Amino acid sequence: MSILDEWVVFDTNIWIFGLRRVPDNLPCAELLEHLARFRVVLPRQVLQELHANLSEDEIRILFRLLTRFPERLKTDWEKTKPEIIAKYQRLGCKLGDAVVAAHLEELDIKILVSENRDFLEEVRDLPFRRLSAAQALAELKQSEK
Amino acid sequence: MNAKVDELAAEIAALDEAAQRVLLERAAELSFRHGLVELSESYRKRLAQQGELDRTAEDILAKLRQIREEIAAREYPG
Repeated sequence: MSILDEWVVFDTNIWIFGLRRVPDNLPCAELLEHLARFRVVLPRQVLQELHANLSEDEIRILFRLLTRFPERLKTDWEKTKPEIIAKYQRLGCKLGDAVVAAHLEELDIKILVSENRDFLEEVRDLPFRRLSAAQALAELKQSEK
Repeated sequence: MNAKVDELAAEIAALDEAAQRVLLERAAELSFRHGLVELSESYRKRLAQQGELDRTAEDILAKLRQIREEIAAREYPG
């Protein structure tokens, strides 16, 4: 199954690096340029983190853009289950990373795109794949061949 | 402007249905991309005004980790 057929979560760092156009992380900006080709879910934790980084106006513009493709770009404001969070904490994750992992598991998301190389690195047999922005772009290009 | 729009609309209407669908999808994606570029420019301008634009990737990641933990602790206390 190609990355275009899967629902994916872009970690907050992808959104922030992409919008900031951080020179060391230009694949994030390129990934956002192709955003409308993916099927992307924004879980509550990521939404809250974006709210903490962006101004009210910037959030409003972002949400207005996301609603242009409601069949491909979804927001999910539901809190995730404490028992799944606890499971990831027992596996060694910090609370915040455990919450993100729990969102993915609960929403049955199979791909997390993140530039945080340490994120869940120590956890084996995750129910989802972790990709960097560059790896996600490579899979996108492969899918479009 | 209206004449140009009418001209474009006539050109699009002359295409077959499949081509029209592809063209409209491409136009929507391009418009979306322009919107993101505008958002990015506005965000970068604000960060520059606040002296925050030139932070390193590591700095930004550290700040994001801190925000993640703060939000998670507030949302899932205990």
